[in-house]
Amino acid sequence: MLVTVNFIITCLYYVIALFFLIAIIRVFVKSKNPQDAILYCLIMIPFVLRILRLK
Amino acid sequence: MEKKLVRIKAAALVIVLLATGIAGYLFREQRVYKEPVVVSEQAVVKKLSDYSDIVKGTVNDCNIYIYDSGVPGGTMMIMGSNHPEEPTGVMVCNMFAENLKVTQGKIIIVTRVNTSGSLTTRNGEAYPRYFTQKTAWGEKKWRMGDRIGSPLDSWPDPEVYIHYPSGLNLAYMDIRNTNRNWPGKADGLLTERTCYALMEVIKQENVDMTLDLHEAELEYPVENMIVVHEKASDVGAMVSMMLTSQTFDVPLSMDFSPKALHGLTHREVGDYSNAASYLAEVAEPLLDRIRGITDEELLMSGKDRFVMKAGEHGLLYSPIDESGWPIEKRVARHVETARKIMEVNGMVHPDQVIAFEGIPSYEEILANGCGPYYHDPATASADRIFYD
Repeated sequence: MLVTVNFIITCLYYVIALFFLIAIIRVFVKSKNPQDAILYCLIMIPFVLRILRLK
Repeated sequence: MEKKLVRIKAAALVIVLLATGIAGYLFREQRVYKEPVVVSEQAVVKKLSDYSDIVKGTVNDCNIYIYDSGVPGGTMMIMGSNHPEEPTGVMVCNMFAENLKVTQGKIIIVTRVNTSGSLTTRNGEAYPRYFTQKTAWGEKKWRMGDRIGSPLDSWPDPEVYIHYPSGLNLAYMDIRNTNRNWPGKADGLLTERTCYALMEVIKQENVDMTLDLHEAELEYPVENMIVVHEKASDVGAMVSMMLTSQTFDVPLSMDFSPKALHGLTHREVGDYSNAASYLAEVAEPLLDRIRGITDEELLMSGKDRFVMKAGEHGLLYSPIDESGWPIEKRVARHVETARKIMEVNGMVHPDQVIAFEGIPSYEEILANGCGPYYHDPATASADRIFYD
């Protein structure tokens, strides 16, 4: 039972990571400031690596 | 202005995607790399899930290498890579797994206790991804992992990790530390389940002694030492005295497992099974915070001028000089400690005698290095090759 609960929580964390990645992409596209755009790009890296299960 | 912004965004995106792709490829390569083990003829190889199916299908369903003489005697279990950033453990276990012939009693080898931790690396520490040992047939290669399991296999961590069953509060990331989760929990997170399954191995195989192999930074007081459960105090004391007086240049001290510190092998294995538990530590300068360049050379040679300088100022718990702490010496100490524990335990408990052949002595490893004691998977028969 607890193993299943843990698995569901893990899945929810991947959903949360995906939500934040989409949010970052959205602000990246909307951004008018080049420095902010570069920063948003860098912030995407850990989210992409985690969602793809690479790191 | 608008066009310039688009060009900057596109360039940044391309660079970042390229960097992510390269990093992702390197992380993936380490995660899927398999280490071949050419077992000796006596080996019977099982999976951890053969003892408890709660780890079946997980990365921590490791190989259990069993060497049973069929002659009544004692049973010892040797564990490596409880902390995968301490490579001597897996090297010693591979040396046993590839050469062992037990003539009385039984020896069980667990080369990768925390397989998950060996599939990742430590963020921000610039650890090498692999380490290699030169042999006559080429290089034998292992994964250099992190201290704890990968978040890809156990995520998220709790805010505070509460050890089961003691209730002791530990740091959040220790939920992925196999040496903070004993005796394990059948319905817990992956590391808790792994320790539970390993306890099942100890119980089902009637293990008399366990030896957990570690390395530690020289700034840490638990250094060049065996930590023993109170059940093992007589044997541990004699092993410490004999190796210090007869074999080792740097003394091997002994300490008791603290009764209030939970989750570690030397405490919980002794408390929750019939086995007497030992944990051995040896110096690994790569783990020191004050080290210089962190690479495979430092890992294997154990030579670092910054750590040496700290030693000159009396800031370390272990001696170090220009010769460093080479891997041969670290492996040789652990091999000899294992041998001596079995020898002395057999004298103290005559019904638990273990006799074996094929494992080099302390002097032989120092003289020849570790290379001659690993076998070429390319020339070995397929039924003797197993992958960790």
